[in-house]
Amino acid sequence: MLDLVKAPAYFARYRDIIPDFESFLRHLKTSLPLYFRLNDLKCPDPEIVLKGLTRQGAKVEPVSQLPNFYRVEPRNFPLGNTEEYYLGYIYPMTLNSALPVIALDPQPGELILDMCAAPGSKTTQIAQMTKDRAIIVANDRRLDRLTALVANLKRLGVACALTTLYRGEEFPFGLNFDKILVDAPCSGEGRYREGYEGELMYQKERRTNLPALQKGLLIRAFDLVRVGGVVVYSTCTINPDENECVVDYLLRKRQGRLIPCTYPQPHHEGVTEWEGRLLHPDLKHTARFFPHETNSVGFFVAKIERMI
Amino acid sequence: MGKRARRKRIHQQAVWPKLTRREEREQVLLFWEERFGIPKETFDPYLLLSTAKNYWLFIQPPDLQPLQSLRVQTVGLLFTRRVSRWLKPTSTALQRFGHLASKNIVELSPLELDRLRREKKIPYTSDLTEGYVILRCEGKIWGCGLYTSGKLISYLP
Repeated sequence: MLDLVKAPAYFARYRDIIPDFESFLRHLKTSLPLYFRLNDLKCPDPEIVLKGLTRQGAKVEPVSQLPNFYRVEPRNFPLGNTEEYYLGYIYPMTLNSALPVIALDPQPGELILDMCAAPGSKTTQIAQMTKDRAIIVANDRRLDRLTALVANLKRLGVACALTTLYRGEEFPFGLNFDKILVDAPCSGEGRYREGYEGELMYQKERRTNLPALQKGLLIRAFDLVRVGGVVVYSTCTINPDENECVVDYLLRKRQGRLIPCTYPQPHHEGVTEWEGRLLHPDLKHTARFFPHETNSVGFFVAKIERMI
Repeated sequence: MGKRARRKRIHQQAVWPKLTRREEREQVLLFWEERFGIPKETFDPYLLLSTAKNYWLFIQPPDLQPLQSLRVQTVGLLFTRRVSRWLKPTSTALQRFGHLASKNIVELSPLELDRLRREKKIPYTSDLTEGYVILRCEGKIWGCGLYTSGKLISYLP
């Protein structure tokens, strides 16, 4: 576990890419606001949920920039113990973790692969955005995590998804996906803050070569999507080795084009140079979301179109 | 026991459920229409798939065959079960589609719901026809119950 007092030294290598670095460090000592997504597949009337939670002592306010998202006070309110959660009316999630699916822009009728889907926040978000009308293949390599995904699909009443248990980088060919989401396993630096010091994966799995794993996943996703289709690659880490460098690797190996996106959260262009190495100039079309500017988890999102 | 430990484990080698024949689909959807007043057309965008005793709802893809090449764990939403010679709606499906129902809905007070969940069976009199009912409390659909012989039986998970 990375002790908070050691955080400035750990994050120092990102001083040049994190805007207002001192503010970032101060922000690590604050707790995250609590949000949920209202599941309108199951709950046609938001008032039922809002009244229910208010009666239990929560203050609930809609998030203006993100439809179906609500902010809850107090921040330690036990959303997971409410009947609204049990009945699948709500899915607690951070605001920034909604952004990869916004970039994906899923449409009814599309065949979509969620390559690293568990526990299902983004799969269920795709189902909700398409009114349960996309065809979603929700995959995860670990059975224990897939069990959580299946439970969430059932809880939220999703009928448009099937689940599979493949290693993402070995997902079989034979389907022409319109869109693929690769929300890759990462070191989780964007989640790090007081109370969440154990979120850094490098401490747990010292020997995991995350960039190699991420490159394998992204290349496979690109090869699985149809020509003209879209792959969205996202992580919740700050490390360019796991973000721009992974996308740079893809752009050198395959014919892809980065697509700029509009997001409802403040963000910065991706870096085009890292530790003396020049990266593909189009990486400026990727997006970096920082915790202290968004009051959420740090995220990286890249949207790539397959050209050939 | 924690929430995680209570989750039912899924099979590692589950197989694709089979596509139901048209007559069987009609029978299942007619049950939903006649019992709860949910029009059959509600389920037009979905396929009805079946395993031994269960029916699953899954979105209709343009072509099912390529998807069937995948080694799947689960497909779609558990919709209806065959219990002996009866059809029984699942609570999962009622929670999802129950707001479209127009009949055989049992409106419970929070106290009645609490008692039903604890005791599984409570005395209940109503002019409803006997059979499976939708359990609703303060606008929230909780799932499936059975109304029979002056009793209300809970099938809530």
